[in-house]
Amino acid sequence: MKKSKTSVRRPGRSAHHAAHRLGRCLYILRQLSAYIDDELPSDICRELRRHLGACPNCEVFAASLREAVGLCRHRPTPHLSSSDRAALRREIIRASRLGSQG
Amino acid sequence: MRRTLPSKSPRTSQQRDDFDKLYRDHVDLVYRYAHRLCGETETAKDLVQETFLNAYRGFEGFRGDARISTWLYTIASRACMRMRRKRMGQPERELSLDEFIPTSDGEFRLQIPVDGLTPEEALENKELRQALDQAIQKLPSKYRVTLVLRDMEGLSAKEVGTVMGANERAVKSRLHRARLFVRRELSARGITKSDRDSGAAPRKSGGSST
Repeated sequence: MKKSKTSVRRPGRSAHHAAHRLGRCLYILRQLSAYIDDELPSDICRELRRHLGACPNCEVFAASLREAVGLCRHRPTPHLSSSDRAALRREIIRASRLGSQG
Repeated sequence: MRRTLPSKSPRTSQQRDDFDKLYRDHVDLVYRYAHRLCGETETAKDLVQETFLNAYRGFEGFRGDARISTWLYTIASRACMRMRRKRMGQPERELSLDEFIPTSDGEFRLQIPVDGLTPEEALENKELRQALDQAIQKLPSKYRVTLVLRDMEGLSAKEVGTVMGANERAVKSRLHRARLFVRRELSARGITKSDRDSGAAPRKSGGSST
């Protein structure tokens, strides 16, 4: 079931969160990166998938971790301009010559 | 930033040519890595300079046991951690798994507009890019280096271990904590703006993304 997008608290939630802190969910939380990187043995992977199918909070959490990793992997970076590249090279050569003379 | 090398025997012209080639072939890689680590252009340039000066100093000693790129990543990572330590003036904290356990409804999902978008499309949102950069910058150094090398530079866990002088198990543990940290920071940030600064392609999904 989809959760409401607003942060309205519903009865029984705190009990669920308390349960979430317990054993199984914590075990899943520890394995999530290995799961995302496809590094888990197939039996553990199956077990984890079964849990995610049955625990909406863990499923949402796993999806959000995967999204965060996806953003990191695709973050573009600025390039060094050719003038900066040349200026840095000059500076490094100058400093290295000074070092050799010193 | 101006630095000079300690006095060493003068290099031959062949060594200077070899070093010049090293610079030309790898300066873009080192700058990209430095920018991802520092999140800021001028500091990244300082780190590039520091890295190549240290590489110059150790060039004769480099025996080719590791790939040149791995060697440069190692020098840059150490230089970055030194710079950071100097700035912070105190040891950085360890991340514990316990701090990443959600305690309220809003903490399970990312409160950012990514639904129905590829990561590239989502990252066209400037606010999201800034939030991601800030989250990465807030990571303690060893976790940030691990995340950048593994998830942004695409090194294997083994290669990251070589750079950091750590075993694969430690690398995977740091990576997991670093990812959980970034996830939590993005979730806590609550970006609701869904329009992208380039005003490019429309959203794929018809549903709400907040």
